[in-house]
Amino acid sequence: MSERTQLSMSGSTASFAPRVGKDPGFFSRYSSALLLVLLVAMEAGVVYFVIRDVRSANHEVQRMYARSVLGLRRIGSLQYEAQETRRSTLYALSTSDSNLQVVYADQSREADSRVSKGIKEYLQEAQFQREVELGQRLQRDWSDYLGVRNEVLASILEGSTKEAVALDLAQGIPKFDQVRQDLEETQRLYDEQASQRLANVAALSRRSVLQLVFVLLCTVFLVSIFVWVLQKSKMASTLQLARMQMDFAASVSHELRTPLAVLCSAVDNIADGVVSGKEQMAKYGTVIRNQSNQINGLISQVLLFAATQDGKGRYVMRPIRISEIIDSAVTGTSELVRKAGFVLEQHISPSLPKVLGDAPALSQCLQNLITNALKYGEKARWIAIDATCEETKDRRNREVRISVYDRGKGIDRSELPRIFEPFYRSPSVVAEQIHGAGLGLPIAKSLAEAMGGRLSVASEVGVGTVFTLRLPVYEELNENQVGHARKDQR
Amino acid sequence: MPTIRQCATILVMLAAGTAMLLGPPDRVAASQAKQDNLAVIVNQANPVDNLSSAELRAVFLGERSHWPNGRRITLVMMEPGQPERETVLHDVCRMSESDFRRRFLQGLLTGEVLVSPKTLSTPVGVRKFVFNVPGAIGYLRPSDADDSVKVIKIDGHSPNDADYALHIPLRAER
Repeated sequence: MSERTQLSMSGSTASFAPRVGKDPGFFSRYSSALLLVLLVAMEAGVVYFVIRDVRSANHEVQRMYARSVLGLRRIGSLQYEAQETRRSTLYALSTSDSNLQVVYADQSREADSRVSKGIKEYLQEAQFQREVELGQRLQRDWSDYLGVRNEVLASILEGSTKEAVALDLAQGIPKFDQVRQDLEETQRLYDEQASQRLANVAALSRRSVLQLVFVLLCTVFLVSIFVWVLQKSKMASTLQLARMQMDFAASVSHELRTPLAVLCSAVDNIADGVVSGKEQMAKYGTVIRNQSNQINGLISQVLLFAATQDGKGRYVMRPIRISEIIDSAVTGTSELVRKAGFVLEQHISPSLPKVLGDAPALSQCLQNLITNALKYGEKARWIAIDATCEETKDRRNREVRISVYDRGKGIDRSELPRIFEPFYRSPSVVAEQIHGAGLGLPIAKSLAEAMGGRLSVASEVGVGTVFTLRLPVYEELNENQVGHARKDQR
Repeated sequence: MPTIRQCATILVMLAAGTAMLLGPPDRVAASQAKQDNLAVIVNQANPVDNLSSAELRAVFLGERSHWPNGRRITLVMMEPGQPERETVLHDVCRMSESDFRRRFLQGLLTGEVLVSPKTLSTPVGVRKFVFNVPGAIGYLRPSDADDSVKVIKIDGHSPNDADYALHIPLRAER
């Protein structure tokens, strides 16, 4: 390859490179999956809030139970014990037996110690100012009552019943009423707190219900959209496949009709005796052979495509030298190149490592790329094959890259993602009546992938196109990969 | 006529009998150890810490009706037949059960005694009574008393002192 050509080729490669790997149809291609992810994310978010609210409600209920319910129970117990304190004192009044009076006095004191203990616990657990104030007032009033109660008990035990009754009426009852009011106020406070917490729980429950309803509505809405998008996508795929098949049928028919028409015409002329002489007969024979070869080539390509698509290709995987692949492909297309008047340049780096693959398949892959370059090479009539060994993107391994360059019309950016689709033909190509079935590039891609490689394209309209076949280096494949590749092809 | 030998034998036997009646010194100590002291208790709020034997007798005979702080004295006695009561009647009041009853009956009728003694059946009842009544005075074995009541001294002696005056027999072990 000349230096000028190399520079030109390098420049073209550099300008094409940024477009390789770009996939403008990513969002449209994965719209269903993205929608599903979005749906799951939204659901997870709302469910998180619902769970948080439910947990809050649960904590609120637990707090309500711990504070209000147990508090009310404690107040009930305090009320009972306070009554017991007073009741036992009054029982002592009802008897003149000193032994019984002592027993009742003892019962009264036991009950009052339980009340004092309960008030102390209440004060220890009091959180709000109002609770503390109420607890302190209760403690003070209870202490005042106990002072009177002690005097009453002493009078009873001394035998001064009248004094005891008078003291109880004058001081005992008012003091005890004060205690009772304090306890009732404490009870009301607990009731208020319980009501407040109940209201909080109710609000949280309402919010959780609303959130759940929202989740359900969102789910229904998003699932509907998801199903709609999925169906639309499937329908579009089906329609596209049907359209491509129709295009394929039309294209194949068209491709077959032209050589068949020529064949029919030639045969008619021979049959009608229009052709006379050895020279004319030889000319007609050549025409018939060429047209037959064209028909045969088209049918072979269709069959090859079918073989690559059903995944049952019979490949003989073995280590192959790159030069062997390229020589085979160049030899197979040399006649076409020569007839088309193209210049085919090769630039193969020395000492390239071997790759694992099926030699005829890889040769066919390269032939398809060369044929493609011949079709769209236009006036430049130049094709270059460049083979190098470079590191992979992740820099872990090496790979052999075989690039086929042309300086043709190039491929529009919008069409790049579709050129490997089976039966796809660019409208501009169809308009220019460039023959083809839309199978060459899909076959090349399928073959590359069947060999464990990749086929990519970079192109610029008006500058040219480069197809790059990347194949893993055989020496760097581990035993599992080799075994797997061979097993896949059986 | 008894012989000298017979007289000597009689003298020896008399000496041995006397020695047996008197007993050895350690046996005397053992009989003292079988006695318990009787503690006199008042309410913890009572400012009195010590009473003389005469004051104690006056209190238990109802001759004294109020404490120095103005509180009325309430006498607490155990039921008749209890050793604690017998000790108080014998050692403090120096009278029999019937004399004691008669005295209080007469005192109530004449107005000399304002409140009759309260009678309780158990030491625990006595202790709790004294605990509940600020002007109460009663008696217990020291082992039956606790911090809820105050044990006062008699003639300046506490129940733990050797010279303490009130003694009762040890409680029979069950």
